Amino acid sequence: MKKYLLLGLSLILGASLWAQEKKISGKVTDAETGEAVPGANVIVKGTTNGTITDFDGKYELSVGSDATLIYSFVGYAPKEVVVGNQSVINVGLDLSVEELAEVVVIGYGEVEKGDATGSIASVKAEDFNGGVIASPEQLIQGKAAGVQITNNGGEPGSGVSIRIRGTSSVRSGNNPLFVVDGVPLAGDDVSGGGENFGLGSQSAKNPLNFLNPADIASIDILKDASATAIYGSRGANGVVIITTKNGKGASQLDYSYSLGVSSITKKYDLLGASEFLSAYEDFNDAAAAATINGGTETDWQDEIFRTAISQTHQLSFGGSDPRGDNYRMSLSYSDQEGIVDQNNMKRITARFNNSKSFINNRLTVTSSMTIASVTDNHVPITDNAGFEGDLLGNILKANPTQPVKNADGTYNQLSSTEPNPRAMLDLSKDFTNTIRGLGSFSAAFKILDALSFKSVYGIDRSFSGRKTVYSGDLLTPGTQPGGVKAGRGFTSDIEVNNTLWENYFTYNQKLGNTKVNAVVGYSYQKFDRSSKVFEMTNFRTTDLDLMLNNMASVNIAGNPNSVVVRNSSKVIDELQSYFTRVNFDISDKYVLTATVRADGSTKFGSGNKYGVFPSFGAKWRVSEEAFAPSMFSDLSLRAGWGITGNQEIPHNVYQQRQRYSDYDLDNNGNVSGGGLGDVAFQNPDLQWEETSQFSVGVEYGFLDNRLRGSVDFYNKVTTDLLIQVTSAQPAINPFVWQNLDADVVNTGWEFQLEYDLISTSDLKWTFSGNIAFNHNEVQNFDGQLNTAEINGQGLTGAYAQRIADGQPLFAYFLREFGGFDENGISVYPNGDFQEFTGDSPLPTTTLGITNTLKYKSFDMSFFFNGMFGHSIYSNTANAFFTAGSLANGRNVTKDVVGNGESNLNAPDVSTRFLEKADFLRLQNVSLGYNIDVSGISWIGSLRVFATGQNLFVITDYSGQDPEVNTNKPTTLSSFSSIPSFGIDYTPYPRARTFTFGVNISL
Amino acid sequence: MVLEMKIEKELIMKISKIFNRILPVGAMAIIAVACTDLETEELDSIVVESTGGGFTAGDPAALLEAMYTSDIAAFTDQNNMYALYTHTSDEMIPPTRGVDWGDNGVWRTLHAHTWDATHATVLNTWNTLNQRVFKASQIIASNPTAQQRAEAKFLRAFHMWNVLDLYGVVPFREVDEGVDVDPRVMTRSEALAFVLDDLESSLDDLPSIGPNLNDAEIQGDNIYASKAAAHALLSRIYLNKGVYEADNPAGPYTFSAADMNKVIEHADAVADEGYSLDSDYFNIYTGTSNAEVIWASGSGTAQNRWFMTLHYSQNPSGWNGFTTLAEFYDKFDSNDPRISNGGPGTTGYTYDADDFGDSYSGLGKGFLIGQQYNDDGSQTVDSRTTLPLSFTRDVPLSGAPTGSGIRALKYHPADAGRYILLRYGEVLMNKAEAILRGGTGSTSALDIVNDIRTSRGGATLASIDETGMLDERGREMYWEGTRRLDLIRFGQFNVEWHEKTNTDPTRVLFPIPSQALSSNPNLIQNDGY
Repeated sequence: MKKYLLLGLSLILGASLWAQEKKISGKVTDAETGEAVPGANVIVKGTTNGTITDFDGKYELSVGSDATLIYSFVGYAPKEVVVGNQSVINVGLDLSVEELAEVVVIGYGEVEKGDATGSIASVKAEDFNGGVIASPEQLIQGKAAGVQITNNGGEPGSGVSIRIRGTSSVRSGNNPLFVVDGVPLAGDDVSGGGENFGLGSQSAKNPLNFLNPADIASIDILKDASATAIYGSRGANGVVIITTKNGKGASQLDYSYSLGVSSITKKYDLLGASEFLSAYEDFNDAAAAATINGGTETDWQDEIFRTAISQTHQLSFGGSDPRGDNYRMSLSYSDQEGIVDQNNMKRITARFNNSKSFINNRLTVTSSMTIASVTDNHVPITDNAGFEGDLLGNILKANPTQPVKNADGTYNQLSSTEPNPRAMLDLSKDFTNTIRGLGSFSAAFKILDALSFKSVYGIDRSFSGRKTVYSGDLLTPGTQPGGVKAGRGFTSDIEVNNTLWENYFTYNQKLGNTKVNAVVGYSYQKFDRSSKVFEMTNFRTTDLDLMLNNMASVNIAGNPNSVVVRNSSKVIDELQSYFTRVNFDISDKYVLTATVRADGSTKFGSGNKYGVFPSFGAKWRVSEEAFAPSMFSDLSLRAGWGITGNQEIPHNVYQQRQRYSDYDLDNNGNVSGGGLGDVAFQNPDLQWEETSQFSVGVEYGFLDNRLRGSVDFYNKVTTDLLIQVTSAQPAINPFVWQNLDADVVNTGWEFQLEYDLISTSDLKWTFSGNIAFNHNEVQNFDGQLNTAEINGQGLTGAYAQRIADGQPLFAYFLREFGGFDENGISVYPNGDFQEFTGDSPLPTTTLGITNTLKYKSFDMSFFFNGMFGHSIYSNTANAFFTAGSLANGRNVTKDVVGNGESNLNAPDVSTRFLEKADFLRLQNVSLGYNIDVSGISWIGSLRVFATGQNLFVITDYSGQDPEVNTNKPTTLSSFSSIPSFGIDYTPYPRARTFTFGVNISL
Repeated sequence: MVLEMKIEKELIMKISKIFNRILPVGAMAIIAVACTDLETEELDSIVVESTGGGFTAGDPAALLEAMYTSDIAAFTDQNNMYALYTHTSDEMIPPTRGVDWGDNGVWRTLHAHTWDATHATVLNTWNTLNQRVFKASQIIASNPTAQQRAEAKFLRAFHMWNVLDLYGVVPFREVDEGVDVDPRVMTRSEALAFVLDDLESSLDDLPSIGPNLNDAEIQGDNIYASKAAAHALLSRIYLNKGVYEADNPAGPYTFSAADMNKVIEHADAVADEGYSLDSDYFNIYTGTSNAEVIWASGSGTAQNRWFMTLHYSQNPSGWNGFTTLAEFYDKFDSNDPRISNGGPGTTGYTYDADDFGDSYSGLGKGFLIGQQYNDDGSQTVDSRTTLPLSFTRDVPLSGAPTGSGIRALKYHPADAGRYILLRYGEVLMNKAEAILRGGTGSTSALDIVNDIRTSRGGATLASIDETGMLDERGREMYWEGTRRLDLIRFGQFNVEWHEKTNTDPTRVLFPIPSQALSSNPNLIQNDGY
């Protein structure tokens, strides 16, 4: 160590001694356009002496006369110039022709794209989707083939479903692994779901909302097993690696501001007051119609939906020096309003990334830290409201003749089963504060030139508190039990404290014409999660603030059940892993990768704690061969195979465990539960769910790489599916977690194409498109699992999907609807039973098309995405848009009137409510203009931009939007369920957003 | 090529050299940091040590009491066992009424014989019955007294007989088998032999419990297993033995004279225990003394029998669900005393103001048809349609108006007794049928049937054949849950009636629930599913 230190010192001193000899100045420009290249590195070859060009591309440097200067900048080929007797050296840099030199992040390192044997989609910041963005997934929606990203609803920050190369698990836990700056995140939610007393429950928000999208430099999606196997047991659903921005080049300060305006894209076509009354009268009689006539006309959609304003401020500054030391700080504030009144998400984030080298660049210390505070103001839009409906259900079914308020100014509240939507908003408060910090700290030491050791410590800590109060003035199920204005309150806290420690060696050597890259390491990760939940009722006040902030306003003396501990929990799980990867590149023609990861997890019993996940990948760069036709600028063949795992199951379900069960405060104020009960039963054989994947691919480039892309084929087989099964009697245990003897097979093709249609100095037009086809099927399964619980009146026990052999996951299982008979009763030509209809909620085809145009200082892009071949089941229509519902005095859409249905008809789960959901959406149009600020010395650049999101959707789906996924699982126990997909049940409606902004760099 | 190989060799040597140097260091570093043994730490729950294997004996008296006073209530529910035995027959229909009783078709499929292996009722019934069998086995393994053992065997036989009758096979788990053991599966005839052995071997040790003739107690000791209960169950099982032993569960069936004589022998044994017919048919279902109730449910009440059928505008307010079929109702003569007690709202009722006033006096007993009445004698009005509530003969399976369908009330909210599981009327009918099928009795089948009819105050029949016997059993035991057995035994289960058009013979057995199949590889799905 001492030796290196001295060596480093002498080098630095030496360099400074020689440096006095001569002053060189000059300008670095783009050789093609002549534009200045700011931030370019100018280094004296063989030393650390150097500088960076300023905004005008200019530099000054003192060097020895025998020096050689190296000019370099990202995206350009470096250039060496011998100083000789020159004192002004102007250099024109050529764009790097080697497109393949692009690096992709692969986990525990990065490789040149040409050396990657796996299927990896890399999306850089400049290709991200713009506009109002709540979470990182939205940045890459539609950008990568085979990556299906579905926003579960239109609420700011709502959950997002990502399926990489299809859906392969029968549990929740189909989302990929997210790795942020080297820290693999836990898959759990970090904030609480919602309890809306008697109105259903809410899914938690997207746990990735804490990341500021503007901090992200690139998102790399590892799709096949040869790429994901390095993440072993957590790689089966693919891996999304998020890399945040570092400072680059000369110090620079960026500020941007954007303003977004959102409004609902499509309202429901409901009956107006007079239409409603006459339709009601047709089913009942005039006398009955008179009793429900409130005598006015209220458009409940207009009462609740609004034009929402979103604002984002973004400030960052950073830079790097020639040695690579860099720093970047950023601050952001965003306030995203939802289009439902009172709903918003506010986020403040701070990030500090830096990296500094010591000991003559042998030791590099890097830190990457972010802290975010997210506040969500919720509205009672839920997943599983029953007969009463949630806020959206009540907007739909509320009697349009009823006024919002009575003459005396109080809310017009008819009954607890027909709540007033406006009162639901105004007489409740529900918000979540989440603070989450994520940091990774690493030290890398270069032991030998070719060998380095890196140690990474990561911490992911969050605290989230949700508080909900419903005033006793509000009439909903549960707020006024027995006519007493008791009100309801709820607090839920979730604390997460996850840590990571990783140590690995990297070996990087070129030997002859063979490059070797090897990684071997150890990883330890600890997941610590705790929660507590309280419920309250019998408030002595109906004032919301007092209820929230003076909880002693509950009347415990009057009723000891006024405050109920629902429960608390704390679980700790650990993951300990050993991994290695070796990559050989022989003559730049043949690339071989082998990866093994052994993962040990506390989630499995002693015999099965460890799982071993191997993979192999190979690549042949045909275009490097002498015989390769010159038309190919790139032609590579890839093949890979590997096994990855899935362990996303609850804590310790392999031993029999008992807990005091949750207390439940029901809608009548009664308390039940609290008994000591079993939460898990013994299954020592429980083991990993495994996915083996085989894939082959071609990467191609023609016409000097103006036309480039890739084609991939994959076959993914998931076995030993982890699931909680109800034991069939006679059994010792009522249920047990098992590895299901079944396979889920995903087979598909992916095509990616990019074409520089026009590429002149003034005008550039690039087309890029991707299309993916996936076939999903359950095989070798002799059981059947029902899911997609359907809610509504007379729909007890109803479900719409079944997992069974020979069908895609979540295949629709419905009655075949054949219209109504002469009595208005549903006809089921195949019989009154559910059957597979051949429809699936999983798209068979996903499409993304982007056009990017640049003309002088203008740039523009427009982006379409689409999904095809799937269907959506409308639980919304099933529960609310029926003759029976209308006859009971609830509003319906106009198409219900005169559709031939009798009010005596039972709206059973059938294909009547199933619709094709193919859609093509103009998701994003961006326009930008770089204002010429060359006359203003203190401004680096100034840019104004406008973005339109969700401008139109072409679809036959009659619901609010075809991109919907309400969480409708079949619940097996308090922490186990079979998920559903593609059900539409009163989702938060989707908005169209226009954003205007300005970006200034100093 | 040679060059490349050389390079590769050099490379490998160089790599191995480096790794030889690095690996020990690296391995040491890595082993040193292997900082966890991956043992789970439980902070919010209690780990219960091993449940696999071994068996801990419980307190047989307490376990038995729990079966009598808690578990048996499952038979009083309107769903599960009761639903499988009634809605699948021609005596009852569960219509969907507008947005009520849709429940994803679980009811309608029972009537239409279109249920499948994922039907919730089929699964819940399987789980309930088999769990009770296992519980009874645990009692038998808990060092019981001779009588306790006999009682547990009786309870095991009763539940297991239900399983073999409904599903055709019986999974069986020994009490000391752990979670890793898949229960073995008994065929129908193996299970039948097992059940018969349990019952016959327990007869000696079961107590004699006679009919409860004490008004003060609601069926008193008749909630416990007795010699009479075992004999009654044996008469039922021997009557159906030909069905259970048939090569094809759907028949044809042969009923041996020996089995029929067993039916007669056991029926006579019940009489020897002191049981006899009640002269007032509807008195059987009350809490007052009678000599017919052999075994009644020790827990739960009969209330679901009225809630499941009464209209929500009646008192008590019901769920407006199940009704009978007009075709079934028409099997009765209008003067059959079992069709009604002449009370308000029943067949042929003529209004009499004196009938009303008391709680629930608006409800007669037997079949409720036509205009219904309130306790004060006023006409009941349907609160939703605002029209007078009148029960009609016609009842569609779907889209049924609120007043459609004839209701039946045997247990009356004013005076209902415990829910009856076995009664002497059925035992005598078993004997009559056994004689008709070739058993040797001291009297003829017709004499027994007429004896039952006249004892209730009804008219005699001139003759009886198989069809007549099936109809008579329906009239005597309607809505008691034996109709499915009768239809199968008489080969009438796979014919069309009402909106049931499915004549698939495999419907005589329910499917093994798909969940059970996937959890026990020893089970094989029944034909037709």
